[in-house]
Amino acid sequence: MKSVNVWFLYLFLLLMTIGLNSYSQTIKGTITDQSQFTLPGVSVYLEGTTIGTVSDFDGNYELITKEGDIITDSITVIYSFIGFKPQKFIYKANPSATITNNIILLDDIAALEEFVVVGYGVQRKSDVTGALSTIDPKGIVDMPLWNAEMGMQGKAAGVQVNQTTGAPGESIKVRIRGIGTINDNSPLYIVDGVPTKDISGIVNPEDIESMTVLKDAASAAIYGSRAGNGVIVIKTKRGSAGKTRMNYSGYVGLQQHGHITPMTNTDEYIKIYNEAAAADDRDPIPEDIYPQLSHTDWMEETFQSAMITNHQLTISGGNENSTYLIGGGYQMQEGIIYNSEYERVNFRMIVNSSIYKWLDIGTNLTLSYSDRDIIGGSGDGYGGNGGSVVRYALFRTPAIPVYESDGSYSDLPNFEGYDRAKLNNWFGDGYNPVGLANKYDWTTKVYRTFGNVYANFKILDGLSFRSEVGINLAVTDEKRFNETWGTDNRINSPNNLSKETGTNFTYNWTNTLVYNRTFSEKHKTTFLLGTEAIKNQSHFQSGTDRDFPDQSDYLRYLGNGLTLNKGADEGRDEWSLLSVFARVNYNYDNRYLIEGVVRFDGSSRFSSENQWGGFYSGSVGWNMKNENFLQDVRWLNQLKIRASIGQTGNQEIGLYNYLSIIGTGYNYPFGGTTNNGYAVSSMGDINTAWETTTTYDLGLDLAFLNDRLFVTSDYYWRYTTDMLIPVRLPQSGGSASPPWVNAGEVLNRGFEFQVIWQQKVKEFSYTINANFSTLHNEVLSISNGRPIAAGRVDAGANATLTEEGHPIGSFYMYEMEGIFQNELDIFSHAYQGPDIEPGDVMFKDQNQDGMIDENDRVHVASAIPNFMYGLTTDFSWKGFDLSLFFQGVSGNSIYVQVNQDIEGFYRGFNVTKRYYDDHWTEEGSTNETPRASWVGAANNKKVSSRFIEPGSYFRFKNVTLGYTFSMKESSAIQKLRVYVGVQNVFTVTKYPGLDPEMYNSDNLSGENVSNPDLASGIDWGTYPVPRIYTLGVNLNF
Amino acid sequence: MTTMKLNIKIYVPLLLSILIATTSCEKYLDSELNGRQSDAQFYQTAEDAELALTGIYNMLSFSESNNRLWVFGDVASDDAAKGGNAGDQADIGYIDDFNIAADNGNLEAVWAICYEGISRANKLLDNIDDISMDTERKNQIKGESKFLRAFYYYWLGVTWGSVPVHLTTPTPEEMQKAATPVDQLFENIIENDLKDAIASLPETFTGADLGRATKYAALGLLTKAYLFEEKWSEAEDAANQIVGQGLYFLNPLYRANFEFASKDNPEILFGVQHLSEQSPWLGNRLNQWFAPQAENGYGFNAPTQNFVDAFEVTGEGVVDPRLDYTVGRPGMPWFNDTILFDPEWSPTGYLNKKYIQPLEEVPVESKADGQLNYQFIRYADVLLMLAEALNEQGKSGEAVNYVNMVRKRARESYMFDDKLPGYPNIPNGLLSDIDDTGQSGVRNAIRQERRVELGFEFHRYFDIIRYGSEYANQAFDDKPNFNYETNKFMPIPQSELDTNFEL
Repeated sequence: MKSVNVWFLYLFLLLMTIGLNSYSQTIKGTITDQSQFTLPGVSVYLEGTTIGTVSDFDGNYELITKEGDIITDSITVIYSFIGFKPQKFIYKANPSATITNNIILLDDIAALEEFVVVGYGVQRKSDVTGALSTIDPKGIVDMPLWNAEMGMQGKAAGVQVNQTTGAPGESIKVRIRGIGTINDNSPLYIVDGVPTKDISGIVNPEDIESMTVLKDAASAAIYGSRAGNGVIVIKTKRGSAGKTRMNYSGYVGLQQHGHITPMTNTDEYIKIYNEAAAADDRDPIPEDIYPQLSHTDWMEETFQSAMITNHQLTISGGNENSTYLIGGGYQMQEGIIYNSEYERVNFRMIVNSSIYKWLDIGTNLTLSYSDRDIIGGSGDGYGGNGGSVVRYALFRTPAIPVYESDGSYSDLPNFEGYDRAKLNNWFGDGYNPVGLANKYDWTTKVYRTFGNVYANFKILDGLSFRSEVGINLAVTDEKRFNETWGTDNRINSPNNLSKETGTNFTYNWTNTLVYNRTFSEKHKTTFLLGTEAIKNQSHFQSGTDRDFPDQSDYLRYLGNGLTLNKGADEGRDEWSLLSVFARVNYNYDNRYLIEGVVRFDGSSRFSSENQWGGFYSGSVGWNMKNENFLQDVRWLNQLKIRASIGQTGNQEIGLYNYLSIIGTGYNYPFGGTTNNGYAVSSMGDINTAWETTTTYDLGLDLAFLNDRLFVTSDYYWRYTTDMLIPVRLPQSGGSASPPWVNAGEVLNRGFEFQVIWQQKVKEFSYTINANFSTLHNEVLSISNGRPIAAGRVDAGANATLTEEGHPIGSFYMYEMEGIFQNELDIFSHAYQGPDIEPGDVMFKDQNQDGMIDENDRVHVASAIPNFMYGLTTDFSWKGFDLSLFFQGVSGNSIYVQVNQDIEGFYRGFNVTKRYYDDHWTEEGSTNETPRASWVGAANNKKVSSRFIEPGSYFRFKNVTLGYTFSMKESSAIQKLRVYVGVQNVFTVTKYPGLDPEMYNSDNLSGENVSNPDLASGIDWGTYPVPRIYTLGVNLNF
Repeated sequence: MTTMKLNIKIYVPLLLSILIATTSCEKYLDSELNGRQSDAQFYQTAEDAELALTGIYNMLSFSESNNRLWVFGDVASDDAAKGGNAGDQADIGYIDDFNIAADNGNLEAVWAICYEGISRANKLLDNIDDISMDTERKNQIKGESKFLRAFYYYWLGVTWGSVPVHLTTPTPEEMQKAATPVDQLFENIIENDLKDAIASLPETFTGADLGRATKYAALGLLTKAYLFEEKWSEAEDAANQIVGQGLYFLNPLYRANFEFASKDNPEILFGVQHLSEQSPWLGNRLNQWFAPQAENGYGFNAPTQNFVDAFEVTGEGVVDPRLDYTVGRPGMPWFNDTILFDPEWSPTGYLNKKYIQPLEEVPVESKADGQLNYQFIRYADVLLMLAEALNEQGKSGEAVNYVNMVRKRARESYMFDDKLPGYPNIPNGLLSDIDDTGQSGVRNAIRQERRVELGFEFHRYFDIIRYGSEYANQAFDDKPNFNYETNKFMPIPQSELDTNFEL
């Protein structure tokens, strides 16, 4: 019986085979991607065989099976292409006809919703246990942005982004989850695997494919010693196989200034001057000079309408084994203040190739060149930019003309029949801002080469090894010529030139071994083991020359000055990091998730005893939706609870901190000749080690209503311990800069919330993406109880004090109580000084000792917002798309230093219209603004809460309206979108200055601790951000 | 076979990376210092010692706008008001008014300068014994270092009284240091350093070494210290060593001390040297601090009417010529004959002329890059100190001769200065010799002479305090805030109190 059965079976199979062999089957069609681009080179083959074909140049394929190819009546065909998810189709054999099937292949990385980029790899979003934010690159492309960083503003909860000033090419400040330290607070960027602290010029917003902010220690700890301030992982677009695609996007725009501080006109200025002169018993401005006076609106004279333009072209393509992308772009932004400009040219080249089944190699290279024309837009020059254009535009009295009669820029007031000293007193001795801006000859050119090469070995199924070498080279070339000009050649005399070129080269060699394995279906594990070596070398040479007899542009080169003391300087530094790291992920049944990370870092910045540090983190997640009891809750699509704890580090202190360094240039003349002098300029400490940040995070991810509503929310505590501080030493021990030591603790904690709603109703679809975050920042201990004062706003006077129990850089000063209305007020109030008169500012006697002195200063406010939010809405209907973006901060304050001068009666400077209208004139007139008097100014412009203004703002950041034309398939142009947009549409704020968002200035250099976070929120009269109207095109062909 | 080959290709890079990572660890993290030296690498040679020594002198300079000795020496005194624009540099005004808080910026500025000078001296003195070099020069370098250390401690002592003392480089822990009482500071620290300096310094430095501290500079400073301590006979001895030597004499022309062409002259025992057009800056910024705004200056440190009135006038109305050498006043030429002084230039109606150069020498555009020295110890000062030391010991008859030497030179300006009206004849009754030989009369004469002879050379305030409360209260009768006991010494700067918990 048995043998009969076997026989029959054999016979049956034989018949079948013969029967099927009697024909061949043809399957054909066109293969496209999701955007309807045809895909050439797609492999089309029978499953489990090498029998197949490849799609042609137009994406058409025709698979003809030969006799013997098919042994069943179903035909399983695989469509596979690099960069796309393989597709499998099972066809029922139909020998009599040709089967036609058009295939759409889905992007493999499409799945940004499903996969997120994490440190050294990607992870399924549902498996993520750390706290991270992904930024939709679409929002970045739509806006006329210059920097990838600005694309994060208002888009990710817990991430604060500020342009430091509105000047073209200005650097961007990014703070993730608050300010953790008084040294460096900027995050680490990983661009296509290459770590860097500075991405200016190397990442085009248009080129970003994904941007992930690793916020908690669990996600960032894999970057160890440099991850204390969070990590931003950026992947740029690469080519995908298929027909060559060209993509052009470009825009042109017009920029204009926004809000301008109203100042007094000439008549008002004379009135207020004479009022003060009367109060102080000084000469008034005589009436017979009036006919000679001008009526200049210096703010309007200083600003201009300016162009902005951007063009980017990329060409990409490839076949099943290799893809490429080459691209280039040009950007140019004129400043809204004369003579400030930024220009950038960049090239990219990306090649990825599968040379063997087990080996992928690739390279990603970016070259860029930028040229920035700088003017002293901000600050006062306490070691900063030098004369500030914006400040002088505010200071300068309207009575002075822009130009003298001979066409030169006016300088000191020059009216016939009056003595210079008198004129200076009446109309000020400041600089002409228009002249100042136009005379600036200050350029910085940066040439960057950035990128990597990699090889990825697939050793076994699930086991792969990747080795990559990254380079990051920046060559900078800075030139500054200070031209002699002005009355009696008083400005920049003798003229002088300084020139500096520097190279900064970093390489990294990173090796990772990854092993993925699933045991018994439910136990999914991933192991990652890696090593990384990073080395940096920087080298600069600088030269100075002065006293150029001819100031022509073409002679502004070293060697042409007449001085015998031409300066030369050179320096070379290096640092290195060596690391080993590992990560383990365990997923049980997609319900329980565990991740552990460890990294050991060795850093050259510390003495050999303290070079190595270990950083650990662990996190857990629970996908509750996957539990049986929630399976049937249909309105709920996801419910995940996350918790993490971990440590990251910070090593951003100067190099060679463990050594005392000898400085040069402490010279002295003997016998009429300079002798060189040396002395210790910075003290070292060999005991200094890492600063550690420990983060605790609790998170919740939710999705409802068929994935239409997403909610992500986190609460975190972030402790910085062993904070690196240059603890101030008594000056009786010398003035050499103190070493950085570990002495301080800071807490940041906050709540982050993001909600996304997306819906499609027929042809109308829209998305609302809102996020907000709260922040509490508090210094828990610092410098063994020695608070750090910073933010010098006047001779010997600081505006901030970083002290236990208060936020970093908290404003610390006298508190204004009101205005003395009469003599009795003065008499009955704590003694404030000898010359107080009615109309002067009254300060609060905080310690109630009957005296107003420095002990009455208190913490009055903070520059750190306690609430930040962003709202993006996108609508599309047929070919139209409309995007609106709002962003704001709340709860922060700004110290308006410039008001000390334009509302504080410093010299013969202009005053604000606000002061003019509101100032005290008689008893009961106001309790807010003091009387007009220079004598009274000694009291009235003391650093006090009088100059604190609310910094909260709500800004309509961007609106873009676009239309995409529908193209015929045969058309050469495959996609055409045109759009118009306005950036910085309007701002709702109580802030009276130019711009509540731009308040940083570089006046910090030269202070004991020159960290901008110790003294942020001080407005020196800062270059404001422009309003930009753009017209743009996106073109695919 | 394929798998084997494949594996080799994989294990090669793996092994390689592990190998490199493990073997080069140590070296990889070494980062050599380039282009700079650490303190362990410096202080090795004779050249290093000279470089370090020049570094100590560097802190003397008025190239730093932080060097505010003049604020304490003059503005605080009855000679000068703050000057400048009303709202500008309010901190200086507070000192003028004796409304002096610990966070007054001028306090920290001078404090830091003196201690940085001391710190540089300590570091060199710590290391110099291990440097192999010419012994004679080594001893001179030690002497110069000690003179400079004493100089800085002297300024600290007269300004603050009791201050922390370091004679070697302190560790951060040792920087927590209590103050040494002012009498010990002078007796044990300043005197000792100066005595060592006197023993090892040469009598003169010339040529390329002109401007270095000499034995007589140290003796001059020692005399100053003794006067502060009221050690009259020691002061007499020290001053006599200078006077007896005959190396120094009074310039026939008083103003020669304050003119560029003659800034180094036989009247100067020690002057702080300045040189223009250097990088880093070595010019004198006082030129800009004190000059009128019309010449791109700020007009600070403005003489008071009280100071102007202190100059003697003859019956015929001829004033002590030193007034016009020291003060710009209405109707008088301002550095040349074409420009008259304009009282609008100053809130007091006067400006101080010492340390200001005419525009022909330093034009407006480089106003802050002056060339004049700060003449710290002049022979006239030594003569008046000797007179004071003698008089306080009751040798008033002898003392008065030295006062008269100073007066004689002043009145004989008329014989040498062809710009003075009536030259070359000395006006009748001008600055006639003092003939009073009573101790109290001579004391008053010396004090008066010091005030007008050394006006605006940053000594006056310290002299007033040294003369005691009676004199001081009289001098400051128009300053309601002045209290001798609390204002005798300045408050220790807040920044020091904030960091040195032993104070």
